[in-house]
Amino acid sequence: MAYFIIKRLLLLIPILLAVSFIVFFLLRFGPVDPAYAYLTQSQIPPTEEALAQTRIELGLDRPFPEQYLSWLKKAVTMDFGISYVTKRPVLDDVLYYLPVTLKLTGLSMLFIVFFSVPLGVYSALHRDGPWDRGLSLLSFAGVSFPSFWLGFLLIYVLSLKLGWLAPFGISSPSGYVMPVLTLSFMSFAINMRLTRTSVLEHMGARSVVYARARGLSERNVIGKHVLKNSMIPIVTSLGMHFGELLGGAVIVETLFALPGLGRYAVGSIYSHDYPVIQCFMLLMTAVFILVNLAADIIYAWLNPKIRYGEAG
Amino acid sequence: MRKMLSFFIVFFLLPFFTAYAEDLIIAWPVNAGPLNPHTYAPNQMYAQVLVYDALVRYGANGVIEPSLAESWSVSDDGRIYSFRMRKNARFSDGTPVNAEAVVMNFDAVMSNKARHAWVGLTEKIDSYRAAGSDTFVLILKSPYAAALEELSLPRPFRILAPSGFDSVSTYKGIKKPVGSGPWKIEESRLGEYDIFARNEFYWGEKPAFDRLIVKVLPDPNSRVLALETGAVDMLIGEGVISLENFVRLGKNDKFEAVKSGPQQSNVIVINAGADKLTGDKAVRKALLHAVNRQVVVKGVLLDVEAPAETLFRPGLKFCGTKLEPYGFDPALSEKLLDEAGWKKDGNIRKKNGRPLEISLYYIGTDPRQKAVGEVIQGDLAKIGVKLLLKAQEEVSFYQAQKTGAFDLIFNSTWGAPFDPHSFLSSMRASSHADYAAQKDLPEKAAVDKAINSILGTSDETALKKYYDYVLTALHESGVYMPISYGVNTAVYNKSRVAGFTFGEMKTEFMFHKMKPAEVK
Repeated sequence: MAYFIIKRLLLLIPILLAVSFIVFFLLRFGPVDPAYAYLTQSQIPPTEEALAQTRIELGLDRPFPEQYLSWLKKAVTMDFGISYVTKRPVLDDVLYYLPVTLKLTGLSMLFIVFFSVPLGVYSALHRDGPWDRGLSLLSFAGVSFPSFWLGFLLIYVLSLKLGWLAPFGISSPSGYVMPVLTLSFMSFAINMRLTRTSVLEHMGARSVVYARARGLSERNVIGKHVLKNSMIPIVTSLGMHFGELLGGAVIVETLFALPGLGRYAVGSIYSHDYPVIQCFMLLMTAVFILVNLAADIIYAWLNPKIRYGEAG
Repeated sequence: MRKMLSFFIVFFLLPFFTAYAEDLIIAWPVNAGPLNPHTYAPNQMYAQVLVYDALVRYGANGVIEPSLAESWSVSDDGRIYSFRMRKNARFSDGTPVNAEAVVMNFDAVMSNKARHAWVGLTEKIDSYRAAGSDTFVLILKSPYAAALEELSLPRPFRILAPSGFDSVSTYKGIKKPVGSGPWKIEESRLGEYDIFARNEFYWGEKPAFDRLIVKVLPDPNSRVLALETGAVDMLIGEGVISLENFVRLGKNDKFEAVKSGPQQSNVIVINAGADKLTGDKAVRKALLHAVNRQVVVKGVLLDVEAPAETLFRPGLKFCGTKLEPYGFDPALSEKLLDEAGWKKDGNIRKKNGRPLEISLYYIGTDPRQKAVGEVIQGDLAKIGVKLLLKAQEEVSFYQAQKTGAFDLIFNSTWGAPFDPHSFLSSMRASSHADYAAQKDLPEKAAVDKAINSILGTSDETALKKYYDYVLTALHESGVYMPISYGVNTAVYNKSRVAGFTFGEMKTEFMFHKMKPAEVK
């Protein structure tokens, strides 16, 4: 197991290198001149003189491999350069905005796990009952509502009409209520449905029939034989939903004016803030790989039959 | 249970009560920035104007008013400006504003001259000095008509207190933002808000509000909801509120929707480049007569902005030149195209087998440009011209303006105090759509020469003569399709704000003149 984890972590290095090269290459050879983007973002008229000066300042006059290597050398020491827009070190900005995004996605993940799994199991156990039908309807709503629409609807009802919650700001914990609901609703709905299906599937499995035949109590049958086995696809799904939450955070952060990384990154992409885009892409790659790794480790814990690193 | 209830009240309802009656709360898409008076983005111009004063202020009808300079005189040859400093002016740290401080600021600006090359004055400055503490003398190499206007700009000629300097140059940053304007920065949280407090040392009438809170709300719909829920008191500034919401909230009794007088001109630039179909003057004139801008202004701009007929509005200083507008006359357009050899072949005109197909570049995320483009597309289809609407992302759009890749492209003049001097000045270098569109005009050299003459004189009669020439030549060349004269808009909560007034520049917000509604 330890061997497997170390191997996966080591794999992170070539993947990050490849991603950094591809991103760097695409940005430099895109249709927009980085020097032009820099001047536009600095609100300086892009005269020929200004462009020439900026190319030298940003090192864009040097050959491509040299530019990449000098960037890489700094990036290894966690120096990702200065943002074109905010004129602050990229890493400072990223570390400033990251906690809000992590808090938002973390809370949403907790919300999803704590509500979707029990409700999904309940649905499966009371199949075709009124609760099951009601929850099915809720999941359909969840996958059909776009999150920005749900967000505005929540603000409209809870803030504008009822006046229960402040529409923006996170100066108090209540500021997270609407963003978390908005962000997690779709994943919650999908996951609840998936849990229901998975539980129903395992209810008919041979092991469950044998367990019942052995005269085990219903609680034991459901808890040990159905739930634990049906959790495997749910863990995979949750791993993927984490990525979806990070992506969705962009919209939610913009909507609710949360100072998070998603909003910052999208602003940077719009304004061609290359140093930020490069750093953000590396960070996201690392996060995705680590989350997938975590999911794989949980698999092994749920099902010891999966022996990593030894099968192939 | 009672404990839970009080917990609920504290955590969930507190945000509603944290706003004091003395706070004015507005929303802005980004933070105010490091508040360096001499540099550009991420410093927001509105904030630079709130915190820092210039020597002079651009006042109503373009009349230059005293600010940190109480009065000034200009030598007969137009080269030497002597500014008499205001006696009671103090920075927000209590230190006096004097000529020595002004010299420090000019040193800082001029040490980074390359960055300010777009400001014509930086090229004209020969020297400057303090004559005692109360007089600042500015000596130019040659007379410059826009000198006072450019001194009044939101940046770079604004005055930072000596205590705010880190070194002679401010290019790399300042120690702390200390100005003499009506407000000083109190607190700033990245991505959340900026709080300005009243500057107790302000030389003018002090703000009635204790604090100005600027919430960072990047999404336009969120800003409107914030106003409607009472989370902010006012939305003000270019692009901060959409025209639709401006009109809608104007009908709501709770709010007052106000617009300023005309600011900048919104135009479409027609590329006269030799390699373009629009390089043919007859085609440009046909396009100008084919577009019904009344429909654009009514249907898309909701009558908030006024239709424009010339590049600069006639009310602007030096821009009263009598020009014949390009009226809406599709029949004339058809005649012009027929004469130029563009014959109708089905729905589209052709010449030597080549269809009359041209492109209009617009910013893809700007719904207003798209809607205006669609109206024009309809108008042009009627005279047999196919207009392709080309959505661009923002940086590519501005890059196309410079490279001249467009046939037609949206553009705006810069508004006061840049119009008309500084805007004309920018036409001479390759950086904007104007140069790209004009460069192949036969009269380009003469126009540039006249602009140089305008910038090199302070004689009003000569200025009028050169302006007449430039404005007439540009109008006749058919390079500009004026659409509307843009305005600044604001919507505010009547129960919170009284005494609203607009500034003269787009980025000059007069919060210090406004009052809490109760103190009417």
